Amino acid sequence: MSCAEALSCSGRPCEIEVAGLSRRFDKTVAVDSITFKVGRGELFAFLGPNGAGKTTTINMLTGLLKPDAGEVRYHGELFDPRRLNVKRLIGVVPQHNNLDRELTAAENLQIHGRLFGMRGQELQQRIDHCLEFADLGDKRATPAGKLSGGMQRKLVIARALLHRPEILFLDEPTVGLDPHSRRKMWAFLRRINQEQDCTVFLTTHYIEEAEALADRVLIIDQAKIIAGGTPEQLKKSAGNYVLDIYNEENIQNEFFTDRPAALQRLEQLDTSVRIRETTLEDVFLQLTGKRIEA
Amino acid sequence: MLHGVRAIYLRETLILRHKLLKTLLASAISPALFLLAFGYGVGRGVQVAGSDYLVFLLPGLLTMSSMNQAYGIATEINISRFYFKVFEEYLLAPIQRWEIIVGETCYGITKGLIPVLIIGIYSLLTGVSLRFGPLFLLALVLHLATFALLGFVAAMIVKSHADQATINAFLITPMMFLSGTFFPVEQMPLFIRAVASIFPLTYSTALIRATLTPGAEVNFVLYGVLIGILAVLFLIARRIVAKVEI
Repeated sequence: MSCAEALSCSGRPCEIEVAGLSRRFDKTVAVDSITFKVGRGELFAFLGPNGAGKTTTINMLTGLLKPDAGEVRYHGELFDPRRLNVKRLIGVVPQHNNLDRELTAAENLQIHGRLFGMRGQELQQRIDHCLEFADLGDKRATPAGKLSGGMQRKLVIARALLHRPEILFLDEPTVGLDPHSRRKMWAFLRRINQEQDCTVFLTTHYIEEAEALADRVLIIDQAKIIAGGTPEQLKKSAGNYVLDIYNEENIQNEFFTDRPAALQRLEQLDTSVRIRETTLEDVFLQLTGKRIEA
Repeated sequence: MLHGVRAIYLRETLILRHKLLKTLLASAISPALFLLAFGYGVGRGVQVAGSDYLVFLLPGLLTMSSMNQAYGIATEINISRFYFKVFEEYLLAPIQRWEIIVGETCYGITKGLIPVLIIGIYSLLTGVSLRFGPLFLLALVLHLATFALLGFVAAMIVKSHADQATINAFLITPMMFLSGTFFPVEQMPLFIRAVASIFPLTYSTALIRATLTPGAEVNFVLYGVLIGILAVLFLIARRIVAKVEI
């Protein structure tokens, strides 16, 4: 499968350009010369198993880690974290809820706003807006540590949106949430993308999350990008239909571009077989020989 | 300009406000116990440099307790860095890295003032007259800034909470007991005096004691020594924080 789709901005103006980005920790290569682009307003998912290099990539894109090689450009300009203005473009939601637990929801946002140079009426109005947007308007005086896991997650996102970033990075935004909260979070992220005029770059190891949310998906495994495209393009490249062929010991998969071809093959088999549409999990399995959430 | 310093100071003082009672109690109990054990126990009737031992002890306790609070920001930075990961917020914000150092140091100075207030009350209760003048205030600010910066540097160097405990065991505890808090350094054996001479607390204790004790002569060179230590620590902190990654 080609990675050419990683190098496009989906016909939009380019917001992020990453070229040859690499980082190692001692002898471990965490990210190995990855190259991709993200278009303005895209909801972009970086999909891969735990330890694939997703968080290290986000950390390099946001200036928390220095790359060993390669470069990052925002709007065509080389990213240098020492140049402070570029940091105003970026909002970051880390994997862990790094809130001040003793401080109230509003105080957490206040500190963030002050760090970004906001103050006075502008800051208060923005705090009110972001808390309302995250459905936390009635929790403004509640200590962050006393909010539920889902609410804390929303508060971290509201905090990242406070300074009106153009790009929102979310590292595993739904990890630790129950399925119901996860689906509510997906709706929230779609709203952010549409209503806040924000490019959303998220990492996930949940197949269904990437499939449900993303305009475009980049698949990363063992520090390298192995495929990229819209979920439909990725599935089409593997074959839109798949046969699960149940053997005595395992399940074999065969991929087909169309349903009649799959049905024709199904009739030839005298074992237990299931026909279904291809998922991104199948794509990952086909590319790497292993399951993503294993 | 300086919004990073203000934001970090605001964050730390807001948290301090939420746990003020606990901090007040912690700052009150330890010096009270030292005062009872050393002032009224071991030191009863003892004269140091022609004065009552309490006149010697109280400035030492003030210096030691305020050092503990100022240096104590190390543990808080540690927790926010390694456990709650709040430190990332500073690294992501559009602020200069030195603003993090200054913001945290200002907070350390503020926190170090709490035991000063408490020991001021103890001096009234014990009837020990202390001279709280501008020379004392200047010495106190330099002393607190030095130990807040030392705490910041320690928090940036360590890789875990366990490392922090090691620094406390090998640096802070010996400093507390060998820097002239409880006994004059001059009365210690030569080896201990040599060790004490490398501790910044030795200089700030001598200076603060001189500025607080009525009639004592202030050695102005000690201000220079503290400013020198402060400058070196700031340069070290700046170098470390420039390289820090999550």
